[in-house]
Amino acid sequence: MGKNTRATRAYPARSPLSGSPLAGYVLRRLGMSVLLLFGVTLVTFSLANLVPGNPIVAALGEGAASNPATVAAYIEKHGLDQPLPVQYLNYLVNLFQGDLGVSLRTAQPVASDLAKAVPATIEVAIGAIIVSLAVGVALGSLAAYRRGKISDQLVRVLSLIGLSIPTFWMALVSFNLFFLQLRIAPGSGRLSPILSPPPTVTGLYTVDALLAGQWTTFMDAMAHLMLPVFVLSLFTIGLLTRFVRTSVLEVLDADYIRAGRAKGLSGPRMLFGYTLRGASLPILTIVGLAFGSLLSGTVLVEAVFAWPGLGSYAYNSATSLDLPGVMGVGLVVGAIYLGINFAVDLLYGVLDPRVRLA
Amino acid sequence: MRTKIRYVATALGLSATLALVGCAATAPEGGSGSGSAPTSIVIDTAFTLETADPGRNYVPTGYMVSKALYETLLDFAGSDESTAVPGLASYTQNDDATVFTFTLADGRVFSDGTPVTADDVVFSLNRVKGMTESKANFLMEGIEVAKVDDKTVELSTATPSLKLPALMTNPSLAILNSKVVIENGGTTDNSDAAEKFLNGTSAGSGPYILDSLSVESQVVLTGNEKYNGAEDIDFDRVVIRNVSESATQKMNLEGGDSQVAVDLSGDQVAGLSGGVSVTSGPSAQTIFLLLNQNPEIAGVTANPEFASAVRYALDYPKLLELAGAGSEQATGVIPPSFLGALTDGVKQDLAASKAALAKSGYAGETITLEYPNDYPVGGVSFTPLAERIQSQLADAGITIALAPAPFTTQIDEYVNGREAFSIWFWGPDYADSANFLPFQAGAKVGLRAGWTAEMAPSIVELATAAETATSMEAREGAFSDFATALQKQGPFVPLIVPGSNIATADYITGVNYNSTWTMDIAELQAK
Repeated sequence: MGKNTRATRAYPARSPLSGSPLAGYVLRRLGMSVLLLFGVTLVTFSLANLVPGNPIVAALGEGAASNPATVAAYIEKHGLDQPLPVQYLNYLVNLFQGDLGVSLRTAQPVASDLAKAVPATIEVAIGAIIVSLAVGVALGSLAAYRRGKISDQLVRVLSLIGLSIPTFWMALVSFNLFFLQLRIAPGSGRLSPILSPPPTVTGLYTVDALLAGQWTTFMDAMAHLMLPVFVLSLFTIGLLTRFVRTSVLEVLDADYIRAGRAKGLSGPRMLFGYTLRGASLPILTIVGLAFGSLLSGTVLVEAVFAWPGLGSYAYNSATSLDLPGVMGVGLVVGAIYLGINFAVDLLYGVLDPRVRLA
Repeated sequence: MRTKIRYVATALGLSATLALVGCAATAPEGGSGSGSAPTSIVIDTAFTLETADPGRNYVPTGYMVSKALYETLLDFAGSDESTAVPGLASYTQNDDATVFTFTLADGRVFSDGTPVTADDVVFSLNRVKGMTESKANFLMEGIEVAKVDDKTVELSTATPSLKLPALMTNPSLAILNSKVVIENGGTTDNSDAAEKFLNGTSAGSGPYILDSLSVESQVVLTGNEKYNGAEDIDFDRVVIRNVSESATQKMNLEGGDSQVAVDLSGDQVAGLSGGVSVTSGPSAQTIFLLLNQNPEIAGVTANPEFASAVRYALDYPKLLELAGAGSEQATGVIPPSFLGALTDGVKQDLAASKAALAKSGYAGETITLEYPNDYPVGGVSFTPLAERIQSQLADAGITIALAPAPFTTQIDEYVNGREAFSIWFWGPDYADSANFLPFQAGAKVGLRAGWTAEMAPSIVELATAAETATSMEAREGAFSDFATALQKQGPFVPLIVPGSNIATADYITGVNYNSTWTMDIAELQAK
């Protein structure tokens, strides 16, 4: 029985969203995601308002915080004289209108700040995932196929190194080596100072430069991506290599792989068509988690490379008691995690028909 | 076997291809100033930037930007912050130092070519005065503005105010093109809506105009073609980048990716390679110990003798070792570049310390020293400083337990006077010694140390004399007396004035540190 037949049985032909198992599943997951997002707002609001410290002094600074008129205007403008439940309610009402509040640190709308920060991080995270996936899958597969050999041992040591190296240290060392000593990488930031950012469409400089036909800007943006991507991908490469090795080893012992080999299948078709596809679910899980953590955990790398992304924004918001900024980052990161989990769950069904039936 | 080799080759080939796709670009030409004289400059600094609207700005990077885009009535020459000099205007004052008359320089124009007039001055200053929600609002507290004629404006105060000329150098009080700003939502109260416009376009008479602004990543300035002031600008384009990590600033400078690094610590400038110049000097910050005088909060630290015991127990040169290039021992609460600063600081005197400790009632109990552990000031991290203080006080018989906490947590305790013994810092809001009067008993910083006016009426008298002096000679003497008295009997132990280190490519000159705007970009020149 072929897989298409099984898929057809799992999703009988009905109207797209009326009562089909897939539609029901998607709707249930979407509902759950909305509830979880609500929970995220509650947690981030509570945490942001329970941390010790005086946001007014942090926001206004010493001089302005001593000026009663300025403090009064600030309290009124930000509704800080309201009880916390009322503030939370106001926050939710504004949230539904796409208003995440005004950053106390940048004095700009949080939504507009995040609209600039998120693409910067997504760009570097996508690069890191692509490189990690390519190298991790290759090294993991190599180690599995060469189980017990020297190359296997070498890959396992390399993956351990990748997992163990402190990212901040690696960022400083690689910047020093490739930029300052070898001069094969550009300086910090997303673009060289002589260039202006391309017209914003996606916020990803590489994509926007291509869309605008600015080849020089595209190449420069790619060059600036090199080191952050390299440093960020090291940990994920180590993680993926180990998971791919384990998963591929399990699949290689499966009956259908032995049968395939017995029938003479070999080469790339065997690797990609059967072995990696069989090992894809745990790999997909790791990739999803890694992508989420890359988006939220790039603080130190972004600091070293002066990358104006989500990590920098989160750090700066937290250390300056910028509560709207902290809540905005929490909400965005939560939404991204939920989105990735959702996508991963759906991809399970695409990659493995047995999941669709379950 | 051949099959396995094919698998391996395929896998490696795939990874190499994808890795190359990810790294397909080559680095652009870096370097600075090779060939013909450079016309652009890149400045790396850790951003404190919220707006390009000078009237709403109150943070250092914002001041640096405003200083390049706008002009103020008065200015400082180079690094000399002791005397205000003419900017857009010159001034005279009455004998009581309550009325200051400003006369605009002839022929000065905004970037759109229209002349700078008294109306622009009145609007700009009244805008800051009226926008109570602006962080800069307090600068105009108690100052009335009146137009005399098209070239003359009068500023008046109810009491003598020799700090007013220094206030008029503050970039928050820059003069805007009132017609343009009003057309774009500008008012003189909280209904003002010109900030968005001013974040996209500047409306001043400064040597530069705003090209683009991102408060998170970079600001780009270009030369103001209509500028007819005193500066002779050398760079047509200035990029000010947010590089929060000072190690990255250092490498960018050494690698030629930037030409100025603003936030290097003393240790970092000591390790700079060739091709780089450093301008070092004391900043305007004072790092000090606070000993709370409120017995309910503090216990033994409330005894003034205990403060004396601490004051004479410390080995200040050894503490200064932690601060690096440009730093100095604090000679008092007023840092060395300001009027009335003392020439000599306290010297270690263990005998005097022990005598004071014996009188203080200290019985060997452990005293907790609180400090922010994530907020270096001028490159001075408080954790090693606290550890060295702990060690030195242990030698003098005082047992200290360290209690670090994040800045945002700690500051609330500090400003509300709930810390018994702590390390803090103070910097001026504008370049004048009046900024240090809050250290008096009963004033802002004094009260943070639980030090009420009733506890030290003589200090209050000295502070009042300094605040209301009507001549510069009398003022200098009064501030000096205030600083001396505070050094002898105050609940503060000034420790270090950290250094300011501005590193530049060695072909750049004209770096002058200023406590408010850090440096005047227009003064930077290529050799």
